[in-house]
Amino acid sequence: MEKAKISGYQLFVLIFLFEMGSALLVPLAGEAKQAAWLVILIAMIGGFLLFFIYYGLFQYYPDQLLTEFVKQILGNFLGRIVAFLYILYFIYLAARVLRDFGDTLLTFAYPHVPLFFANAVFILVVVYTVRKGIEVLARTGELFFVLENLLLMTFMLLIVASGMIHLNNLKPIFEISGTELMKMGFTKSVFFPFGEVIVFLMIFPYLNEPQRLKKIGIGSLATSGIFLAIIMAVNIAVLGVDLTTRSQYPLLTLIQSIEVAGILERLDVYFLFLLMIGGFIKISVFTYVAVTGTANVFNVKQPSRLAYPVGIVILLISIIMASSYTEHIHEGLGAVPRYIHLPFQVIIPLLLLIIAFFKNRKKGRQASK
Amino acid sequence: MASFFKQKRQVKQREKKKEDTGQSKSKTPDYIDSSISANLEKVKKKTGNSPDIIIRTLKIGQNPEIKTTILYVQGLIDNPSVTDFLIESIMKNPHLSEKILPQEALDVISEEVVSLGGVETVKDWEKLFLSLLSGDSIIFVDGINIALVASTKGGERRSIQEPSTHLTVRGSREGFTESNATNIAMLRRIINSPNLWIESMKIGTVTKTDVSIMYINGIVKEGIVEEVKKRLNRINIDSILESGYIEQLIEDQVMTPFPTLNHTERPDMVAGNLLEGRVAIFVNGTPFVLVAPAIFVQFFQSVEDYYNRFDIASATRFLRIIVFIISIVGPALYVAATTFHQEMIPTKLLVIVAAQRETVPLPAVVEALLMEMTFEILREASLRMPKAVGSTMSIVGALVIGQAAVQAGIVSPAMVIIVSITAIASFATPSYSIAISARIVRFGFIICAGTLGFYGMILAFIVLIVHLCSLRSLGVPYMTPLAPLNPEGLGDTFFRRPMWAFKERPKFLANENNLIREGDNQRPLPPESRGMKTSDEKKGEGNES
Repeated sequence: MEKAKISGYQLFVLIFLFEMGSALLVPLAGEAKQAAWLVILIAMIGGFLLFFIYYGLFQYYPDQLLTEFVKQILGNFLGRIVAFLYILYFIYLAARVLRDFGDTLLTFAYPHVPLFFANAVFILVVVYTVRKGIEVLARTGELFFVLENLLLMTFMLLIVASGMIHLNNLKPIFEISGTELMKMGFTKSVFFPFGEVIVFLMIFPYLNEPQRLKKIGIGSLATSGIFLAIIMAVNIAVLGVDLTTRSQYPLLTLIQSIEVAGILERLDVYFLFLLMIGGFIKISVFTYVAVTGTANVFNVKQPSRLAYPVGIVILLISIIMASSYTEHIHEGLGAVPRYIHLPFQVIIPLLLLIIAFFKNRKKGRQASK
Repeated sequence: MASFFKQKRQVKQREKKKEDTGQSKSKTPDYIDSSISANLEKVKKKTGNSPDIIIRTLKIGQNPEIKTTILYVQGLIDNPSVTDFLIESIMKNPHLSEKILPQEALDVISEEVVSLGGVETVKDWEKLFLSLLSGDSIIFVDGINIALVASTKGGERRSIQEPSTHLTVRGSREGFTESNATNIAMLRRIINSPNLWIESMKIGTVTKTDVSIMYINGIVKEGIVEEVKKRLNRINIDSILESGYIEQLIEDQVMTPFPTLNHTERPDMVAGNLLEGRVAIFVNGTPFVLVAPAIFVQFFQSVEDYYNRFDIASATRFLRIIVFIISIVGPALYVAATTFHQEMIPTKLLVIVAAQRETVPLPAVVEALLMEMTFEILREASLRMPKAVGSTMSIVGALVIGQAAVQAGIVSPAMVIIVSITAIASFATPSYSIAISARIVRFGFIICAGTLGFYGMILAFIVLIVHLCSLRSLGVPYMTPLAPLNPEGLGDTFFRRPMWAFKERPKFLANENNLIREGDNQRPLPPESRGMKTSDEKKGEGNES
């Protein structure tokens, strides 16, 4: 574990940027049509439930990383294996986001740049950051938090000013039945982006005021969930259901349609800015966690030495994980939530929590005797 | 295990070496002899018979006459005090022309004869040479193994002038000089408090430069002074010729283009910084005083911001930040927009730019790098060359770059405009040291923009932000109060809060027990009759009715 402390505000900011990261760009819960924003809010509540599982684990082991307390719960051998699987999971997620990001970039702005090059320079920046440690990442997050919010607010203002919002597009809300919406909310949408907050089990121990963690975590998830819901609602209100669900990057389409005063138009670059800030924080958090986790499992004294190798692994996985963007998205919507997110975000943590509960109760009894 | 022993042995060897070189320190001090001729011989030998060391021999007393010698270094002493108060008073004093014992003579001289401020006795050579070479006069009396040191420091020095950096319209016109004593006195004149504490030390094994640390006891944060002293004491170098030497030897991070210690020529700026809880380091021989710890936003603050009203000051600050951003990304934006993102440029402007670029044989990146290099060459040349040829160069520069290059079709006029704006912007930053960093960073941005357009630029921007966030100055994060966020501190960053709302000193710099800097209700209270009032209460003076 690194010798570092981050403040409550910094953690809030990191979780917020992490959640907003790539979720801003893709059509979240698109199959719910007009009610997409509602599904996001439902998923947010699912996210709260998951957060409570993680919080429960954190309370049993407040100063240990995920990779450390897994060994305490499951024993040394099995614990190491699970910890290693988690590291692979984080590396895979980092690679997924990187691929998302690289493909988006190539699709909308740089058709002639090879994917490998675009991803390589980006992972280089991430590795540079990860080597500086969690404190620097948190401070960077603070600055980017302000920047991202400024950008989002400017967009909202411009959209309202250009008079493109048609609230009729949001009706009827319940074209799909309520139970159906609940089902959508508690399955796919909860894993991405809310369930991914499990990586923060590797960062919570750095918090300098652990007693406030519950408030910070829920507050941050709620803020980002509401932001995402609002943005989705605005997307649908401006573009209509059809265009929103069909377009790859609804936010980009939205930003491209802004035209104010003959000068504020073609604001693609600001979309690029948003995309990169979010993607950067998200990939950095995943990479940082993968690096510290690896150092922890394999007892490496200087985790910063692992940053380059882990970065290269992430880069290579991001290239070979899918042969095309369509395949990548298809995997992301089909197999990944069911076979990867579900066990790593829900089943294993839940099992760990149950085992930890019984173990600690036993200990508590022994102590009281 | 083997390597462990090896290390230990190396340490021992290093210690041994230290002892060999620093003989004078570890060995017993070398004492002064009682015979004058032996002493003078020693002085001559040690100084290589340098002619600027003046030896003046006098005779005092009667039956027997006692030989007395005065030693001083020409140019370092204050001439009137040596001639009038030392030599003349020794020669003409009635006590000394009487019969006197050599043992008493020294006491008489120090207590009755020499009418100078500081007189003390020394026994060992090391201290004697230190005083002699810093401008004091030495008095030997034959037969006594003690010497008198009379403080006669003086000599030619630059007088106090207006500083040439950090210029202001409003505010003090005084700038620091090369003499530490004068500089410290200037601060004393501004801050009349016994809590203004100063500690001095000599750094440099050969130059033995005077270095003084100044801080306000009670306002400075605990630990910061100790940290500064620890870092200064670590320095083991032959010479300190400017405060830049110290800066480079005590800064937190070496590999960075950004300054992590601030320096200034203005006493009022140092005073303001001391009152915020910072520490100043004075180095003899330079008008630039170091101020630590430094934070990023500080480099955009000018003392005048505090002298002007807050709205004006805030607007100027905001302008400076914009100017700094322009000076970093200006040419890069142009390169990225013209090479990769033409759709960003409004159509009419795009047509003009494209028409200009039609004849230009070079890609925009090369064009930008070429022009920036030319500009840097011009600037460097105008800084270093003799003043007499300055006008020639500006003509050549303006003609060659402004006219000929454009007419020849080597560069586009738009590029010239961009480079000029960037150049002006980089001069508008109040701190020279951060303007230089912007110059270096700018080239990185141009290259990134030329290879990957805005994608490259944003990557460079992210690296820049991460790098800035990773810096520290004496342990204080460089980007405070922005990151880590310090809400109270934000009032003195991009805008400046009104003077009556500056309730506290910045928490990240000053001692937490002594934060209050002004009383409550400092907001001016003009007479209430002004403005729209319904009641006819008479409060305050100056009612018009």
